Amino acid sequence: MIEVRQLGKVYGQTERYLALADVNLHVAAGEFVCLLGPSGCGKSTLLHLVAGFETPTTGQVLADGRPVRGPGRDRVMLFQDAGAALLPWQTVAENIGFALRARGIARQEWAERTDRALADVDLLAHRGKFPSQLSGGMRQRLQIARALAVEPKVLLMDEPFGALDAITRRRMHVVLLDIWQRTRQTILFVTHDIAEALILADRICIMSVGPGSAISHDIVVGIDRPRDLADPAFAIKAREIEAELMPDLAPAMPRSA
Amino acid sequence: MLRTAALTTASVIVALAIWQGLSTYLFNPFLVPPPLRVIATAVPMILSGEIPRDVWISLTRVFVGFVSGCLAGMVCGVLLGRIRLLHELLDPAVELLRYLSPTAMIPIAVIWFGIGEMSKYFLIFWGSFFIVVVNTTAGVMRAPITRQRAAQCLGASQMRILVSVVVPSAAPYVVTGMRIAMASAFMSIIPAEILAADSGIGYLLEQSSMLLQTDRIFVALLTICVLGFAFDRLFQFLVARTLARYMSHIALT
Ligand SMILES: Nc1ncnc2c1ncn2[C@@H]1O[C@H](COP(=O)(O)OP(=O)(O)OP(=O)(O)O)[C@@H](O)[C@H]1O
Ligand SMILES: [Mg+2]
Repeated sequence: MIEVRQLGKVYGQTERYLALADVNLHVAAGEFVCLLGPSGCGKSTLLHLVAGFETPTTGQVLADGRPVRGPGRDRVMLFQDAGAALLPWQTVAENIGFALRARGIARQEWAERTDRALADVDLLAHRGKFPSQLSGGMRQRLQIARALAVEPKVLLMDEPFGALDAITRRRMHVVLLDIWQRTRQTILFVTHDIAEALILADRICIMSVGPGSAISHDIVVGIDRPRDLADPAFAIKAREIEAELMPDLAPAMPRSA
Repeated sequence: MLRTAALTTASVIVALAIWQGLSTYLFNPFLVPPPLRVIATAVPMILSGEIPRDVWISLTRVFVGFVSGCLAGMVCGVLLGRIRLLHELLDPAVELLRYLSPTAMIPIAVIWFGIGEMSKYFLIFWGSFFIVVVNTTAGVMRAPITRQRAAQCLGASQMRILVSVVVPSAAPYVVTGMRIAMASAFMSIIPAEILAADSGIGYLLEQSSMLLQTDRIFVALLTICVLGFAFDRLFQFLVARTLARYMSHIALT
């Protein structure tokens, strides 16, 4: 579904910064992949290249076998700051309507699709509110609903729950997994939280520290769903990942997910 | 709301009382006529239709110049804010020309358009246009990139993004620009009419000055204050009524 080949990205003309060097990544259709790595390693850069907001310096990105030349309707990006991505002058329902209209969906279908998308994220009761009247978690759910309404094949998510409190974040994980299990969309999900990656992903790709970062490890999670944080397999996987990310710290630090 | 109205009224009454006291006991009442005399002069001028006629003429000029200046300013501002090449080509010109106030343009406007209505329209247009262009350009350029990218992912065309995302995002800037432009229009109509007209409030001011009729001068000055204030309030009221949802979102981003 998504194929990243020998991708390199250099930022800046005079002060050149090599953000990515030789990234290779394959995400199969219906797969849930998490990109994990320390701050500044180039996770957002990679996601922006896949979304088509930036052009690669070397290498290429293929979506469904075709080279990515710009943003496309098959790949919808979800931003960490949902408030910045939504239209603040439109109500919850109107924001969904905006997406449906942008996608060219027939007007008769709008009401039903809007209701379905809002029901999926449990926002039906708030359809008349403006984004400024929603909590952070509700805004993020609205952003997800807006993406769901247009049924993209691929969801690109850049730390979508990074700004939420722990409880809301757990709830959002359940919502997202639930949706993913029904729609079987392909999801590329950026995070720097090991536990989050383990709860969500089929596969975790770990990125090395920049400059010139690449994907250093590709780990298949292989824990049955629904996943249980208390499962010992979970702690073992977490320890394994931590050892890859921080070889100097891992052995000394027993990990409680 | 009621409290604000009461305070505004009180502030005006106190100011008038102080003025009355000062002109009666301190200043020469010929040079600074007290408010009661100004009102006594104003009433017959209003009843005879002299003031309403001048007000109507001046307002028409302000309206035509302001509306055309705002419309042209918005269109040019959106283009300048959106098309980088155009911005690079034209922004220096805008930055230079906007230092020419409408007053500075009066002499050439009279030569170009005579002292008919056209020269006044032009001068007000000139003053409004640059303010609105600069503000609209800034607003369009600052339209949050995340909001545009999100819309693009969802499948919105460039035109749809411009109309439904960029322009509404710029609305607070445009409205601020229009409000400043309106104040400028009310300020520039007076010199324009003093120097290049045979009607309007500015003309009334100039005639009264030639005849040393200080009370009539004060009537004209007060009229300008009231008009400017009233129209600013009207403008804000209309904005609150029609554009409220575009104005209150700045805090969110
Ligand atoms: N537009 C840009 N111009 C120049 N350098 C950039 C630009 N965007 C990102 N970079 C650099 O590229 C590197 C990777 O940035 P990126 O935002 O992809 O990191 P990240 O992994 O998403 O980090 P975080 O987890 O903090 O979000 C950083 O060193 C950053 O300074
Ligand atoms: Mg990032």
